[in-house]
Amino acid sequence: MTETLPLPPACVTARRISKSFGGVAALDSVDLAPRPGRVLGLLGANGSGKSTLCRIIAGEMMSDGGELLVDGQPARFTTPKDAVRRGVVIAHQHPSLAPDLPVWENLFLGMERCGRGGFVSRAGSRRAAWHMLQAVGLDIDIDQPVERLSAAEQQLVEIARALSREPRLLILDEPTAALSAALVDRLFAHVRALAASGTAIIFISHRLQEVEALCDDLVVLRNGRRVGSWELDGSLDEARVLDLLTGDSDAPARLTERKPRDTQDVVLTLEGLCAGQALRGVDLDLHSGEILGIAGLQGQGQEQLLDTVAGFRRKDGGRILHRGRALSPHRPRDMIRRGICLVPNDRHRQGLFMDQTVGENLAAVALAMQPRPWRLRRRRLAEFVRQTIPRLLIKTRGPTQPVATLSGGNQQKVVIGKWLEGPVDVLLLSDPTKGVDLRARREIYDTIGDLVAGGSAALVYASDIHELLHHCDRILVMYEGRVVETLSGSAMTEQRVIAASFGRAA
Amino acid sequence: MSAVTGQPRTRLAVAPWQALRRSGLGPGLLMLLVVVSLNIALQPDFFSGSSLSGNIATFAPTILICVAQAVIVLSRELDLSLGAGVSLINCVMASLPQDKLGGPLGVIAVAVLVALLLGAVNGLLVAYAGLPSLVATFATGAIWFGLALTIMPQPGGVISDAIGDGYAGTLLGIPVPLLIIAVAMACWALLARHRAGRRIIAVGSNPEAAAVAGIPLRRTKLLAYLVAWMLVCLGAIAISAQTMSGDPRLGQSYTLASVAAVVIGGVSLGGGRGTPWGALIGALVLGLVTNVIYFAGISSSWQEFVKGFVIVAALGFMVLEGRRRA
Repeated sequence: MTETLPLPPACVTARRISKSFGGVAALDSVDLAPRPGRVLGLLGANGSGKSTLCRIIAGEMMSDGGELLVDGQPARFTTPKDAVRRGVVIAHQHPSLAPDLPVWENLFLGMERCGRGGFVSRAGSRRAAWHMLQAVGLDIDIDQPVERLSAAEQQLVEIARALSREPRLLILDEPTAALSAALVDRLFAHVRALAASGTAIIFISHRLQEVEALCDDLVVLRNGRRVGSWELDGSLDEARVLDLLTGDSDAPARLTERKPRDTQDVVLTLEGLCAGQALRGVDLDLHSGEILGIAGLQGQGQEQLLDTVAGFRRKDGGRILHRGRALSPHRPRDMIRRGICLVPNDRHRQGLFMDQTVGENLAAVALAMQPRPWRLRRRRLAEFVRQTIPRLLIKTRGPTQPVATLSGGNQQKVVIGKWLEGPVDVLLLSDPTKGVDLRARREIYDTIGDLVAGGSAALVYASDIHELLHHCDRILVMYEGRVVETLSGSAMTEQRVIAASFGRAA
Repeated sequence: MSAVTGQPRTRLAVAPWQALRRSGLGPGLLMLLVVVSLNIALQPDFFSGSSLSGNIATFAPTILICVAQAVIVLSRELDLSLGAGVSLINCVMASLPQDKLGGPLGVIAVAVLVALLLGAVNGLLVAYAGLPSLVATFATGAIWFGLALTIMPQPGGVISDAIGDGYAGTLLGIPVPLLIIAVAMACWALLARHRAGRRIIAVGSNPEAAAVAGIPLRRTKLLAYLVAWMLVCLGAIAISAQTMSGDPRLGQSYTLASVAAVVIGGVSLGGGRGTPWGALIGALVLGLVTNVIYFAGISSSWQEFVKGFVIVAALGFMVLEGRRRA
């Protein structure tokens, strides 16, 4: 344990924190002592309790047991404001912003800069807001409503707000999930400077190389328990971390190489596909049995490409050919009938019925697409649900568990599983492992691999380059609405993907 | 495309046309233009002093009640008891002994107290008891109406002449109804620059984000109801000053009108977006539509039909605008 080393005392200490939801223990007597001037990496699979722990420390949730100490004195945070007053600030993974309010107002939400009599000082706030955003490298119109911003920009607004509250302890909950590599570098520089000035930082990420690059200490959680912690000195023992994360020492630390497949049959062809500003002539061939990755910086049209092929977004020009036949998708329904299925980017809003159960979600597509709507095939659907849960290794108490109570990885498996009742010929996946832990990520790609082995194909967009390099047969790189590079075999290297992402040939 | 660049793009001012689009006032202003043109065509002396001041005196209560609804809608709630509340306040005022209680000011003070009480009941039920506002205020509206009927089963009673004369008069050369509207809008303008008003909008835009940011949700919503009911009170006093008597059915039509005005004025029923200025425009559109029906010699039984039509058209505008934005 690192706590015995001569380090500055922790400003905020979580001691033996326990929390359970509906009888299931989310945290079991967990200690955490982030120290001033150091970045503490908090690693754990989804459902391991990282977010719960952080929310308790930030006053958004009360623990069932244990205590928080601020400068050695017991403290009780009943609201986020209590925590902020004591210098504990959290930047959430999903930005908590008011979409209709301008950017500058969101930066001061709940902590308005007021002049005499409680009137908001507009000029001062706007000027301060501009400086706050400059600090994180965001140069946008601060008067526009936040809803106009991209996911990456909203994330940076959330981070800028947290930074501005002059935290003694800053919690960054997966801040990089939506950011491009350049923005991540910039953020890290800022975090390091903040740490150097004596702030304690808790950093959560699923990307090991980010933890390696940024963190001084590491704590690993599994199933609500602290299973390991040590000091990092610039390098990370990846195999050890993976073992601790999965609790499965037999699991290979690296993914097994995918066997080359017969890739002669073309399943899907795009010719000069255009849609609005996002897609400006996309050409690609998707072969039977392959997993084709789409890489590139954020917002180069990857998500729109998948949406357009799925019939979810109108195309303005070009052709989509499925098994040699030209299609003009008007509705997702037309594409689903042909087995072209989308696992959308935002699983909470587009992928799942969050207030329904696992079983209802798995059966949703089958119900919507059944040929004779007046005849419910209850028994068949129940059978399908019963088989799909173990097939995709969905960790659930059963089909009647509300889908909202599953971890992110298991929710994503449900999104994939709902398509399996019908034929799947082209599986479109938009960042399928966003906020998904490493083990579930592997299981999701295993499922995709099994699916395409039967002759169908998958088109995957992922914001994590390593994920694509690990799992895909070929990688396309998009830049400003076009495919600028196709890489396969030994040419599939991080370097070439990144070079192409910036619109340059390697 | 990419908004993260090295070049500073922060502008200090927003282009006027862009400000108009963001405000959502476009459709409302367009409709206002149409109905004003129709009014001028049908009533050539529309802009004469007497006609204008008559119109303003008629429209003032509607405007106040519509702006009240806008404040509540901004906080992502609704109040379907505004109309019945107006009736109840009116009946209480008309049944009071007008020459006791310190004269007209006493009567007005009682009206304010009643309005605050009604607003507090609605606010507590919605914000603190967590009842859905659509149903809760529909129900309390029935209660207000019932109380109004109990106090005054038949139209009757009197409002003191002082209130009526005051409303018809001028102050510093400005007609009192116009002054009341101006005061109400000035109150909003101040609130919109105040922390409390910004928080009402933030809560309506994203309650969860507001809560996480430390904004007290319940207190903020209660405040929205109380502010709104102060405006309703002002509206009820204005109507009473015009009718000079009590009528338990007096306010009935204002509930739908207020929701309609909010929609026409581009205030999002989902909360957080829009301004009470939109509600003012919406109220003017509805009032002028009534004028058009009257002056065009159309039977007044078509009034509700035409109003409903205007509301559907406004909703259509909003949907089209939303689609263009996406």
